[in-house]
Amino acid sequence: MRWIIYCTAIIGMAFTWSCSRTVDSQELSESYYVETIELPLGLEGETGAIAFLPDGRLVACFLRGEVMIYDPKTATWTLFASGLHEPLGLLIISDSEMLVMQRPELTRVVDTDGDGNADFYETVTDDFGMTGNYHEWNYGPVRDEQGNLFIALNTASEYGHVMKEVRGQLDTTLVPGKPKQKFSAVPYRGWIMKLTPDGEIIPYAHGFRSPNGLVIDQQGRLFATDNQGDWVGTSKLYQVEEGKFYGHPASLLWVKGWNRGDPSKLPVEELNQMRTRACVLFPHGIMAASPTQPVIDDTGGKFGPFSGQFLIGEMNQERIIRVMLEEVQGQLQGACLPFIDGKGLRKGNNRLAFAPDGSLWVGQAEYGFVGDKGIQRIVFTGKTPMDIYSMNLTPEGFDLTFTQPLNDSSATNAENYRFKHYYYDYHLKYGSDQYDVQSIPVTAVTLSEDRKKVSLTLSVLKEGYVYELNLTNIRSESGEELANSLICYTVNKKY
Amino acid sequence: MPFKPLILFLALMPTIQLSGQAPEDTVITISLKAIAGLQYDLVRFSVKPGANVKVILTNSDDMEHNLVFTKPGTRLEIVDAAQALGPDGPASNYIPASSNILWFIPVLPPGQSDSLLFKAPRKTGVYPYVCTFPGHGIIMYGAMHVTNGVMPQIVEDPNVPPGRRKDDLTGNSDQGKPRSSGHPYELVPPFLYRVLLPDAGPAAIAVSLPNKLSYCWDAGACRLRYAWSGDFLDLTDYWAIKGELFGKILGTVFYRDKTEYPLRIREPANIPAVDFKGYSLVEQYPEFHYSIDGMEVFELIHPKEDGSGLLRTFRIPGAGQTIWFVTDPHDGAIYESTAGQWEDGRLRISPDEAKAFTITMTRTEGTGL
Repeated sequence: MRWIIYCTAIIGMAFTWSCSRTVDSQELSESYYVETIELPLGLEGETGAIAFLPDGRLVACFLRGEVMIYDPKTATWTLFASGLHEPLGLLIISDSEMLVMQRPELTRVVDTDGDGNADFYETVTDDFGMTGNYHEWNYGPVRDEQGNLFIALNTASEYGHVMKEVRGQLDTTLVPGKPKQKFSAVPYRGWIMKLTPDGEIIPYAHGFRSPNGLVIDQQGRLFATDNQGDWVGTSKLYQVEEGKFYGHPASLLWVKGWNRGDPSKLPVEELNQMRTRACVLFPHGIMAASPTQPVIDDTGGKFGPFSGQFLIGEMNQERIIRVMLEEVQGQLQGACLPFIDGKGLRKGNNRLAFAPDGSLWVGQAEYGFVGDKGIQRIVFTGKTPMDIYSMNLTPEGFDLTFTQPLNDSSATNAENYRFKHYYYDYHLKYGSDQYDVQSIPVTAVTLSEDRKKVSLTLSVLKEGYVYELNLTNIRSESGEELANSLICYTVNKKY
Repeated sequence: MPFKPLILFLALMPTIQLSGQAPEDTVITISLKAIAGLQYDLVRFSVKPGANVKVILTNSDDMEHNLVFTKPGTRLEIVDAAQALGPDGPASNYIPASSNILWFIPVLPPGQSDSLLFKAPRKTGVYPYVCTFPGHGIIMYGAMHVTNGVMPQIVEDPNVPPGRRKDDLTGNSDQGKPRSSGHPYELVPPFLYRVLLPDAGPAAIAVSLPNKLSYCWDAGACRLRYAWSGDFLDLTDYWAIKGELFGKILGTVFYRDKTEYPLRIREPANIPAVDFKGYSLVEQYPEFHYSIDGMEVFELIHPKEDGSGLLRTFRIPGAGQTIWFVTDPHDGAIYESTAGQWEDGRLRISPDEAKAFTITMTRTEGTGL
């Protein structure tokens, strides 16, 4: 069978689809449940981007080029725009105007005549190169308070091709490299770009491999995830700052005045010194294999007790990850833990957005990788989960704060906190083993007066290590078990 | 997406996964619309015994409707009892007191939605749903089949209003039409499609036109690259490998631009720098907007009515200088123009004429290019 688009005879086009939805919930009595949104019949539900209109309608981009609008009140889909090239990012301006990050351009898509269908596709920028390599996806935009937009440009894959005719200046230094690694043959692959309100495009930060997720937090800081692979020992979350290098050498080719040839041939120690460390590492296969878009819980409690924390999608597992950050000795770092595992959530959690009602919507994709297709939403039922609220570094070890008071006897038993630490190496080879894996005994436990905070003293604390904690037997006062028993803290700096 | 060099393998034909089949311990949500003509858009659905069911009713009609689920075989009895409520009807939402009523959504004004959550009966059977608004219940109804099996063919289902035993307005997924495109709509020319195309840059655009014509316009190079007649594109390979292999042209390429660049300013030898600005849809035909050496150009391409070529309408509102349109004798087209002077395969256009002119390109007989 072939997948063929014929020029069909003219048939009346109806642009509204009414659907049913499915709630995939184990028990509606839990703190969170997952509901599945049914897609229009015939749609290939590879979700590239989602965002909400102020009135509560969802806007979703699908990889075969559609921008569609879903009204949760009526479970009805309408088509807003079509014909886009693998749209992977979306920023809503109004219900008639949106910015869509597609493969060749960042495009302002506008419905100028108010009929509900876009009729004006204006290039906001196409000032970046492309070779036709499948791996050159683009992400964003996110917008800061000053109105600057940020987009991220993926590197190309050594398993893909470079077209005879490319867009932008071609540099074949790394094409397609031996040894195998991601490459940047045209500017500015592997970079995050800044677009100012007056239209200037500025190469902003570099060293990214696959930054499939940008977010600006409530303090106006820009963050990006990156995916495990060559030069990325395990997936991570970076704070992105202007001019900094984040570790993947391919992008260095496009640093102004670069004259050192193949950047991947530089001494690894030199590259290691140049790079900026991630805030949080996602231990590969333990926490995430392929993290995606972060969102900040800005729902003011509508989504539960984790206001201000990050929620990040994961492609390979039925999981959303939660991340909390703190500043230690001027260094941003923190912990990650599963937020929701299973409970009807599918894989392929590529895009996240909070609805005005505080539910978290998840757009899924697979696109030839591990994943799923479609859209689901996660709803907070109002019942406080029994979970770790935060994990903070102390001079002696860690403080764990819980969402509910703990049962005394289990909470004060040091046996119930099993730590190990390890680090990941920085090198060209794909991924990294864990090195210096050690069990780290907890030597003292104290429980706060309100029984919500446990202070743990560890026998060893080292910078540059991940501290992976598995909790057992920890229960709330009322006997409820922990929703998640795994948490990983990245110690960049210690007190 | 995971951006890993996993294995590039040829997936099977891309499949379309619908989320209609729910696991056993889930809640099935059914969306019903009250629509014009005293009917629900969905006249039947099936659930397993004991399933959790959420029903959303949206009143898309211009009059009031409710929704009442009854025990098997009691629909008409309930309709009659609702009718008998008389003046008490509105206050009670036309819901009579009856142990044969299982669940209901009260009367909804036009445009409103409401929902209902219940556990389907353990006992298999056909549970009617009906609007008990006076006068509606005789024809405005449907059926919930509680079954572990499948529903009978709709044409043989006596629980469905007779007028609806042929069609299913919602295209229920178990009766879905064959799909091929991955789009939830019919692709009707003219339409624009962006994938990787052969013999162009990576930012090319394919456009399907009526009269079995298509063209490739390159948003990187800001020019028409080629045009073909026949069918549109075969994207099997393109979608199979993460959007990297080219879409295959289905037809015969009858025109291919062989010039360095077709539009020139002032001197026919000047090759301009180009910049792609986007496009507008003019009755679904894209009008491309770009600049050549900073000068704004709009280009709108229509099919010739007899399918023998293309009509390219250019607008260069601020030309200010002579514009040249340059052709190649071997590009497959015979040219005519509404303005300007042809000089040895080059059309000389005055600044005033450049404000709007149309070039007709008729295919020459012979083989493809």
